[in-house]
Amino acid sequence: MKVEYVGPFAEAAVSVMKMVLGTTPERGQLSARPQIFTTQQINIVCGITGMVEGLVIYGMSMVTADRIASKMIGAPVVTFDGLAASAIAELGNMISGNSLALLASKGFNCDITPPTIIRGSNVKITTLDIPALVIPLQIPEIGEFEINVSLQERRRAAQSVA
Amino acid sequence: MAKRILITDDALFMRVTLKNILTQNGYEVAGEAANGAEAVELYKQLKPDLVTMDITMPEMDGIAALKEIRALDPDAKVVMCTAMGQKNMVVEAIQAGAKDFIVKPFQPDRVVEALQKLLAA
Repeated sequence: MKVEYVGPFAEAAVSVMKMVLGTTPERGQLSARPQIFTTQQINIVCGITGMVEGLVIYGMSMVTADRIASKMIGAPVVTFDGLAASAIAELGNMISGNSLALLASKGFNCDITPPTIIRGSNVKITTLDIPALVIPLQIPEIGEFEINVSLQERRRAAQSVA
Repeated sequence: MAKRILITDDALFMRVTLKNILTQNGYEVAGEAANGAEAVELYKQLKPDLVTMDITMPEMDGIAALKEIRALDPDAKVVMCTAMGQKNMVVEAIQAGAKDFIVKPFQPDRVVEALQKLLAA
């Protein structure tokens, strides 16, 4: 997996969070992750299709999810209900959507699928043949937020470019 | 009389957020659709003054719904409201008849300005 696919997601996450959460997250060290890994408590899964394809998973703890949802809704989240889940999913959707504009400017035109939320800390996710790269973000006063990017160039697109 | 808006977004959070912005600014929310197919159906029933339309949605996406609504009513005012701001998407939407294109996340003022401009008449 190419590192150049990761940059747009980190960049988009920072700009979306600045606007939606009113705070600037700090980027941590990029690392690789095996194809099978255990998820965090709350995970937003976004499918990417087009010239690069695969999955992007945004992972966080329940506490972080509560704090993000509270900030987005503008009122404290007492129980993590449908509205809170939808806010978290929308944050993932906005980061993915904004990343697509950055990927398109590098020549990769892609589309995203509606986000899916996976709750539960012992879920194993397998990204098939695509290893993931992980960007950890530290959101001040909110918590850690992890972006798992596993994308690869589509075979047919790669051939038509060559 | 308050202008009537149909909100289309698969995310409950976005529908609630848009509804708050619209009602606080004197608009009436005529209905809420959670996908493109619902938007087309509600457009026929409600005949709203304007539609806000997300793009990435299950069942029928926002571009397909925009085309169907414009086929039903060539004067339909549809404003895209989506996280995807890449150029080809904007061009496709505008060519299909969208009146404006708002990229999420947005400031409430951006939505209000777009609506005021389109519904001024």
